[in-house]
Amino acid sequence: MSRQVALWAVIGTLVVGAVQLDAHHSFAMFDTQNRVTLTGTVSKFQWTNPHAYIEIDVPAEGGAPAKHWTVELGSPSILMQGGWKFSDVKPNQTITVVLNPLRNGDPAGLLVRITLADGRVLANGPGPTGGN
Amino acid sequence: MRAHALAAAALLATVVATSVGAQSAAPPDLSGSWAPYRGGRGADPKLAAPPATEILLKGDYKKSWDARRVAEAEANKKGEPLATPAVECVPYGFPRMMSVALYPIEILPSAKQVTIITEAFSEVRRVYMNEKQQPIDEVPPGYYGHSVGRWEGDTLVIDTVGIKESIWSYQNMPHSDRMRITERLRLVAPDYLHDQITIEDPVALEKPVTYTLAYKRLPNYKMVEFVCENNREYTDANGAVKLRLK
Repeated sequence: MSRQVALWAVIGTLVVGAVQLDAHHSFAMFDTQNRVTLTGTVSKFQWTNPHAYIEIDVPAEGGAPAKHWTVELGSPSILMQGGWKFSDVKPNQTITVVLNPLRNGDPAGLLVRITLADGRVLANGPGPTGGN
Repeated sequence: MRAHALAAAALLATVVATSVGAQSAAPPDLSGSWAPYRGGRGADPKLAAPPATEILLKGDYKKSWDARRVAEAEANKKGEPLATPAVECVPYGFPRMMSVALYPIEILPSAKQVTIITEAFSEVRRVYMNEKQQPIDEVPPGYYGHSVGRWEGDTLVIDTVGIKESIWSYQNMPHSDRMRITERLRLVAPDYLHDQITIEDPVALEKPVTYTLAYKRLPNYKMVEFVCENNREYTDANGAVKLRLK
């Protein structure tokens, strides 16, 4: 079983099994059908509840000013269940994030996965929504 | 001499039987941290939660619940989901606090009190053991109400009244101030706990609702602090969740 298939098996289990659970809020403001991949420089990492956030500046082509994006993550507890540490992201690091963008077009999104400065790849917690 | 030996053997048997009896009467150990357990493919079906009973609300309670569900579905379709109180960092209260996403709970039993702490929003319930429940009208309505508990064999039975009407119940149901919740907590296997929850509310419900939450023990888990702060998400004028960008 490839890693991709294994991941989808986990996601399927979580979705099917999540009926009884309360969520922090619906994730319908994010376009979960689409993904955006961004590589940029971290300006801030906020390790807070109920969500952690990464602020990232993504260089534009042709010398235009960098575009600022806000990345929403799960909570510290849920991220730790997915193998995160509070010190995994620091200002001025170069990271790559895959996001489900906001449906209203604003430059923000929900993290799907991140490639950290040291090359490690982490998801948004142990499940597809970071458990929120 | 032989009679003495027999008497001694009988005495020994009594002592052993008494001590075994005392051991089996000791309540099971529910202490520690527990993660929501969903079973999944290949899992023993006895360990996962059995299905819940149907929710049948009365009159205006049904109308308001149905209206909210329709509004939620429409808002989600537009990509502007309605905010819940938790978006504004308001705690869940009982019973929803017992099953928030993937967050564990911690159970701290003692002779006089069983304390339950949730990781999400750090909510705390105190269950007073072997005390008489207060009349509903004597309990100040709150997020956790007033809970009393007792052991019935291997089952911890908890009775709770006094949950504030503004706090959503199971599946975000509305409820009256007459709501009474009975829980039966039992180890279905050494590391699997079921909390069978029955909600009775003669004012709001046509019949009681029963559902079960399943948990798996998390050995050596250290609960993570959770203070809801500096919330980037907020509720806009239309009641939708919005993200404050920087």
